[in-house]
Amino acid sequence: MKESVKDQIFRNVITFFLLILGFIALVPLISVVAMSFSSKAAADMNIVNLLPVGFTLESWKYILTDNGLWRAFFITFAATGVGTALALTVTSLMAYPLSKTEFKMGRLLMLFVIITMIFKAPIVPYFLTVKGMGLFNNPLVLVLPHILTAYNLAIMRTFFKAFPAEVEEAAKIDGCGYFKMLYKIILPSSKAVLTTVGLFYAVTIWNQFQHPLMFIQDTKLFPLQLKIRQLIGGGSEIANVSLVANVNYTEATLSAATVVFAIIPIIAVYPWLQKYFAQGAMLGSVKG
Amino acid sequence: MSKKNTAVTMPLPKSKTSLVHNIKKYWPYYIMVLPGVVFFILFKYVPMLGSVIAFQDYSVFKGILSSEWVGLKHFKTLFTYSDFQRIFTNTLLLGLLKTVLIFPIPVVLTLMLNEVKNIKVKKVIQTSIYIPYFLSWVIVGGLIFDLFGVGGLFNNARNALGMDTVLAMQKETWFRPIYVISSIWKEAGWGTVVYLAAISGIDPSLYESAAIDGASRWSRIKYITFPLLIPTILTLFLLNIGSFLELGFDQVFNLITPMTYSVGDIFDTYVYRVGIQKAQYSFTTAVGLFQSVIGLILVMTFNKLANKFSDDGGLW
Repeated sequence: MKESVKDQIFRNVITFFLLILGFIALVPLISVVAMSFSSKAAADMNIVNLLPVGFTLESWKYILTDNGLWRAFFITFAATGVGTALALTVTSLMAYPLSKTEFKMGRLLMLFVIITMIFKAPIVPYFLTVKGMGLFNNPLVLVLPHILTAYNLAIMRTFFKAFPAEVEEAAKIDGCGYFKMLYKIILPSSKAVLTTVGLFYAVTIWNQFQHPLMFIQDTKLFPLQLKIRQLIGGGSEIANVSLVANVNYTEATLSAATVVFAIIPIIAVYPWLQKYFAQGAMLGSVKG
Repeated sequence: MSKKNTAVTMPLPKSKTSLVHNIKKYWPYYIMVLPGVVFFILFKYVPMLGSVIAFQDYSVFKGILSSEWVGLKHFKTLFTYSDFQRIFTNTLLLGLLKTVLIFPIPVVLTLMLNEVKNIKVKKVIQTSIYIPYFLSWVIVGGLIFDLFGVGGLFNNARNALGMDTVLAMQKETWFRPIYVISSIWKEAGWGTVVYLAAISGIDPSLYESAAIDGASRWSRIKYITFPLLIPTILTLFLLNIGSFLELGFDQVFNLITPMTYSVGDIFDTYVYRVGIQKAQYSFTTAVGLFQSVIGLILVMTFNKLANKFSDDGGLW
């Protein structure tokens, strides 16, 4: 059916408006990239907007030779890798029995999990507990508090529930044990949900800020987000660079380059994030 | 079947028998859940029990067992404390802004996105408005500081229009607008995902018959798409109110400056600064406990309502 002219105009106006909005959404990112490639003079004169002025790689050279930043990057990278693997193990191990009606403790355990969603312990006793576990200034604090969430548990449980019972019955007859069932039969055919939940955990661990802020004081153990905050906030080494005379970067261009440095990994995996997060957004409910 | 057998052979109370039997038969299940159970106990339940320090004058050296019990002392201080009134007001105001100004935006964006005919153009728009969602608040905070700082786009635009430079991040009057803008930038785009999924579930024959009747695009939005989205909107709205107090530590902490504490400080940032940095453990646990209890009441109430309005609505 052909659209009326009025409808076509209606749609085109909206599309045009959304394209502008989309561009505006990108403006902060474009502007920070522009700043990171701009010269000291341009930055000092406040004339950098959407394009680099006095193009230079000096800020990037400075940032990329900063060992502290790379160190923080690898700490976060390792925490994300180890944390995601551990989280998927613990979550699938718990979600599988919870998806079984023959597991008698299941209902009680779900209640046990839901309570933690409803009543959140205040942050101070949480801090004292985790500190008491020896996790203060311990890199494990970047991993262990994030290896299980009620939400992800619920997503996996829902997915396992839909697994055809006949396949499991057949495997059982062939003498397949419970652990083997999970690792040889269930998990290999759950790649979609494992990717979704894995990415949820990975992004949480990668972007985490409050935990390292509370528990990591040793700057050598700083993960990326904390390092970035330290570098772009006042009082850091970067804040004093503009006092040096003959360099072609300023506090502003260095902090811009640092922010872009931290954005790049996210942009690199963005197509997967977008796809699997969208799938995961449909699944969250503890019911069923 | 198996239940019957046990009941016959063992004269123990029925529930206990069947549980023992269940453990014997399905023992691997009980081992599998163990790491998860330990996790919840250590990271969720122990801190919950640790909240009792709100009723003590807790000292790290004495520990929970030998610290002095002071009953409701800290709660009494709380309600007369000007700091508390300030953070309570700030939390309520930001929560209100979140619900009134920020919540409707994804709905409008979704209805608009749904009008984009060209799939490639739609993908481009979605891609650019979704990106900020995946960035941490440290990065978003950094971007916002750059944007609103001296030499940032905001001030360059103001100067171009003949206005003075404003240090927006350091001004009390600007904190709430910046909170709203940053929330919208980071989360409004992504907020469309659930609504778009709901739209894709709408029966296409409804649109076809509307088109045959000569309904314009606008009337199709008004009479089909929007009314059919209302259950989803309502559910999300109720859940949103349920998490009214969870404004997000990361966001506020990365946008606030000492100059904006008076308007920006919320429960979470206050408890962090005073409780953890200055080690006033008992008092700030009382503050946190107050927040948790209000949060509990809100979540319970609004989750119940969400379940009432749509079958699959609530969180549990």
